[in-house]
Amino acid sequence: MKKRALITILIALFALAVVVNAQAPFRVAIVAPSSVTDLAWTQAMYDALGQVQESMGGEGAMEIAYTEGMFDVTAAAQALRDYAEDGYNLVIAHGTQYGTSLFELAPDYPDTSFAWGTASDTGAGQGLTNVFAYEASAEEGGYINGVMAGLMTESGVVGIVGPVPAGDALLYINGFQQGVHASNPGAQILLAYTGSFGDTAAAAETAQTQIAGGADVLTGSAQQVVGAIDAAQTAGAVWFGTQFDQSGNWAETVVSSQVFDWTATLEDMIAQIQSGTLGGTAYNLTLANGGLTFAYGQVAIPDDVRAAADQAVADVAAGIAYPLGGLPEGQFRVALVAPSSVTDLAWTQSMYSALTEMQQQLGGEGAMEIAYTEGMFDVTAAAQALRDYAEDGYDLVLAHGTQYGTSLFELAPDYPETAFAWGTATDTGADQGLTNVFAYEARAEEGGYINGVVAGLMTESNVIGIVGPVPAGDALLYINGFQQGVAASNPEAQILLAYTGSFGDTAAAAETAQTQIAGGADVLTGSAQQVVGAIDAIQTAGGYWFGTQSDQSANWPDTVVASQVFNWTPVVGSMIESIVSGSVGGTAYELSLSNGGLTFAYGQVEIPEEARAAADQATTDIASGAIVVQQELPE
Amino acid sequence: MNNLNIVQIGAEALALAVLFATPFLFAALGEVFVQRSGVLNLGVEGMMLMGAFTSIYVVSSKGLGADPVIGLLVAMVVGALLGLAMAVVSVTLQAEQGISGIGFTLFGLGLSTLLFKLLAGGVITARGFQSLYIPGLSDIPYIGKILFQQNVLTYLAFALVPISVWVLNKTTWGLQIRAVGQNPAAADAMGVNVARVRYLTLIFGGMMAGVAGASLSIAALPVFQENMTEGRGFIAVALVYFGGWSPWKVMGGALLFSIANNLQYWAQNYNLQIAGSPIAPNLLLMVPYVLTILVLVFARQRRRQEPAALTKPFTRGEN
Repeated sequence: MKKRALITILIALFALAVVVNAQAPFRVAIVAPSSVTDLAWTQAMYDALGQVQESMGGEGAMEIAYTEGMFDVTAAAQALRDYAEDGYNLVIAHGTQYGTSLFELAPDYPDTSFAWGTASDTGAGQGLTNVFAYEASAEEGGYINGVMAGLMTESGVVGIVGPVPAGDALLYINGFQQGVHASNPGAQILLAYTGSFGDTAAAAETAQTQIAGGADVLTGSAQQVVGAIDAAQTAGAVWFGTQFDQSGNWAETVVSSQVFDWTATLEDMIAQIQSGTLGGTAYNLTLANGGLTFAYGQVAIPDDVRAAADQAVADVAAGIAYPLGGLPEGQFRVALVAPSSVTDLAWTQSMYSALTEMQQQLGGEGAMEIAYTEGMFDVTAAAQALRDYAEDGYDLVLAHGTQYGTSLFELAPDYPETAFAWGTATDTGADQGLTNVFAYEARAEEGGYINGVVAGLMTESNVIGIVGPVPAGDALLYINGFQQGVAASNPEAQILLAYTGSFGDTAAAAETAQTQIAGGADVLTGSAQQVVGAIDAIQTAGGYWFGTQSDQSANWPDTVVASQVFNWTPVVGSMIESIVSGSVGGTAYELSLSNGGLTFAYGQVEIPEEARAAADQATTDIASGAIVVQQELPE
Repeated sequence: MNNLNIVQIGAEALALAVLFATPFLFAALGEVFVQRSGVLNLGVEGMMLMGAFTSIYVVSSKGLGADPVIGLLVAMVVGALLGLAMAVVSVTLQAEQGISGIGFTLFGLGLSTLLFKLLAGGVITARGFQSLYIPGLSDIPYIGKILFQQNVLTYLAFALVPISVWVLNKTTWGLQIRAVGQNPAAADAMGVNVARVRYLTLIFGGMMAGVAGASLSIAALPVFQENMTEGRGFIAVALVYFGGWSPWKVMGGALLFSIANNLQYWAQNYNLQIAGSPIAPNLLLMVPYVLTILVLVFARQRRRQEPAALTKPFTRGEN
């Protein structure tokens, strides 16, 4: 009897404990360098905590403690330790500068979860398992703001009020400059740092110098900027903000603010902690994952500016545009060695136009030099050109042909400081001990498939011709993908495939195309710079053309239905970023439909609704993996 | 499915072969005259490129938007000037002909590319010579398609074959050319101005090379891209040897090469198989070259008319 009563009481106690435990609030503490009402970095996180609290059920479900204004790193470390000691579930170290202290104290509290930002390092390399890292790709929103700023300035002068050239602020400022250059290459940028995050007066003064220098559009970062916004308002200039919606007090001045939305990040951290995982994940806010959003004030934004901004957002999110987080110091020098001409409307032009685009984005020839040697059919001559460029001290030397690989691998070790890039290739030479070679290739079969689907639906004669150069490399991938696309949309269609044996023999391409036209083909495609002859032939015959590598519609807008375009801009950007951060090789890049590297350009040919829908569906299916386009066809 | 039957394919292939034999024919006929006078012009390729670019440039809207006839005249003038330059180098200055010819080819490649970059900036197109249907004849089944639905330059090229034969064999000019190529010292003794004859054949050969280029860029395609001749000038020179310096045989060679080349495209198009397995494109692409070599090796040439003084500069009194 006694025994049973005891058991009952124990069970009741246990149940109570469970209930109490379940109802205990989740306890979060944040230690931040500035105030939770700073309209910037700290407020962005603090407000996100408030929102998460609300969605979890209020203060009863989640407790928030904060220590603000912790410029002093030692004091911040003590505050972090106190919160951990006090049993908080999640302790947020909201400043890059807190990292060293955090990594020292985290091992003492293995049951406490820590979060550190701006950072991408969770300390996993040092054996830490209870640290999350978070950062924002502030350069992306900076780029969007910059695009708008470039279009809205009337004086052609734009001012930037920076705190210190580091961390999140530097990312934002770098992105902003690239946006301005991209939308308005002629604009002048005035950039000055105050040396402080919180010196409002210095920010106001800096802004005034820029206004005096002609700036009518300004931006800036950190909590200091309130001084600068005010100065802008007084002068009738407009302002672009970051980190937090800054339009509240200056609705007539603040055009748009990049807003850091940490809500999803926090929710994921909390969910992980509740399921027993205390760290190890690095979060990054981007336009693509919705962590970066925009808040607008009441400034009238012209339609074209708004459209350009929307396009830029879509392009950055899709990976088509690539604002660099880290910019090169001084002039960045790129050299391109290519088998055909930079105006070949094909392989070489696709890379050259990416380089010129990046050059504009970085601020023109002063920021980036482009040297090229084209028409290098001769591999020995190409190798000499590559060596000359490396010898001459170029930062990045591109060997833009599969055939250059052997020579490149021979000469790369002689120039360990120079970054080389090789395409079409997937091998960075890491096996041979090379550390200074990037590799790049395009999944040309994916766009080939899409073109094939549309071609299959547009042919009336049910005969489709393919004018190939040689059955190898990128051209073969494209041709194989194209055939699979045709087979998918129109199994009845007959395919006439012939190779000219050359990349540049325009007349042979024209002749081949004419045999196919004579054979009944009303839709043609093909690859390499030779195809201009074939396009002209199909135009004369009144049929349609599908292109690849570069946009081929300009000369034949009524004939070229669609061109798969290789967009190397993100690859070039990523290489430059990597070089700036000290890594001169080792990465293999790939253009695909899903990463924005393969895009489509359209001519003026009207595409039937059905074909367009099929193309969209195929694009979605390839990106999601529902359709796998084979690189090789079965025999 | 609208598969063509074998006869239709044959007709289509022949029609295209005739069209694409045109540049070979112009260049090779010009070269026949040059070589019969004792000079080897390996600069044909470069002269073709210059003719191809300059003609489409004046015809295209990026240039003057001129009539194709003007384009043709420009190609003739440009080619003739290059031929004149080659004459200065090889006849007057007596430079080694093979080397200086290669030099002219590289010069033509470089200059046409440079002008193309500076003036056109990128691929150019134009409305060139259109197909000219010969009334009545063009309606003949198959034959009409092959022979009488071509552009005016193609008609001209084939018309020039009998004319060349006649000029070379039946006129005083022809006799002088052959004499200068066979025995310049004897011709000189007979009062023929050797240098003058060679100047004229080189100018004519250059002009024909220019027209050959134009027959690609403002007739067969019409498009220009750098180095668009892709070695056709050298094939033309080879055809002169192949044809034993006879215009008829040169024409035969040009047609043989062109027909074989066009048929291999059809073989690729229809995935021609041998014993159930497809033939690699690279093998098919070799066919015209292999065939031409085979013909050259096995066809017994009874009367080869190789000019005895070919590639030999002439200096009065030395020979």
